[in-house]
Amino acid sequence: MSPRVVVMELARLEAAHLLGLVQQFAELVEESAPDDSDPAVLRLVPDAYDDEKAAQEFRDLTAGDLLQRRRADAAVVADTLADVAPISDDPADPALHAQVQIRLDPERARAWMRTLAAIRLVLATRLGIAQPEDDDPDDPRFGIYHWLGYRLDGLVEAIGDPQQ
Amino acid sequence: MGMMALATPDLDERTDLDQVVSPDRPWQTVVWDDPVNLMSYVTHVFREYFGLPRAEAERLMLQVHNDGHAVVAEGARERMEAHAQAMHDYGLWATVRQAPQ
Repeated sequence: MSPRVVVMELARLEAAHLLGLVQQFAELVEESAPDDSDPAVLRLVPDAYDDEKAAQEFRDLTAGDLLQRRRADAAVVADTLADVAPISDDPADPALHAQVQIRLDPERARAWMRTLAAIRLVLATRLGIAQPEDDDPDDPRFGIYHWLGYRLDGLVEAIGDPQQ
Repeated sequence: MGMMALATPDLDERTDLDQVVSPDRPWQTVVWDDPVNLMSYVTHVFREYFGLPRAEAERLMLQVHNDGHAVVAEGARERMEAHAQAMHDYGLWATVRQAPQ
């Protein structure tokens, strides 16, 4: 039996924007250290204990691996977007809105899923979303955040039953 | 203000007591609610990582959503730390604690 392949369909323009985001995210993680004080990076390696000292010890042990995973996942996503993302500079080019298909084997699909979730966490930190009511659907700055949520939701549905 | 100064040592004491490691209480992995992770994603993570049936994963997800947190595993401390790291790998916020008395 062949492994289930997930097909992501998106406009070429979306693919290009997503690649840009993933590259920015990769840069942030690349430049981060396990003892980083950037709240967006800290959200990727959160406190595992109430006790500050125990939380720091846990972070010392796990942050390196977790951030390495973020880099590796982002590299997978960038790699799968590389063929479809290049676009022309002409905003009237109809090719921008042409749909492209990205085929993801289960392992790549999971790397995509984790990366979209992680980028949303970083954006949410930058946008100051700490409570549900901080999320403003009418604020244009939240557009990319919501779009990523829409794509992640679709991907989760497409992956379907993880036990199969 | 004087009252507050008097109250502080009490609070500290209570915090210290909480952190006493008691050998007969199991450890727990707790997942906390956040306004960012999608309900569908959290359910998927619980199914994928813990191998839970959909109904059980949804029950836990709703518990996180409605109560602010849910105990997703209980057992030896090392195992609970491994689960917490796995949750962090998915972007969920998880902590480790000893079961409250």
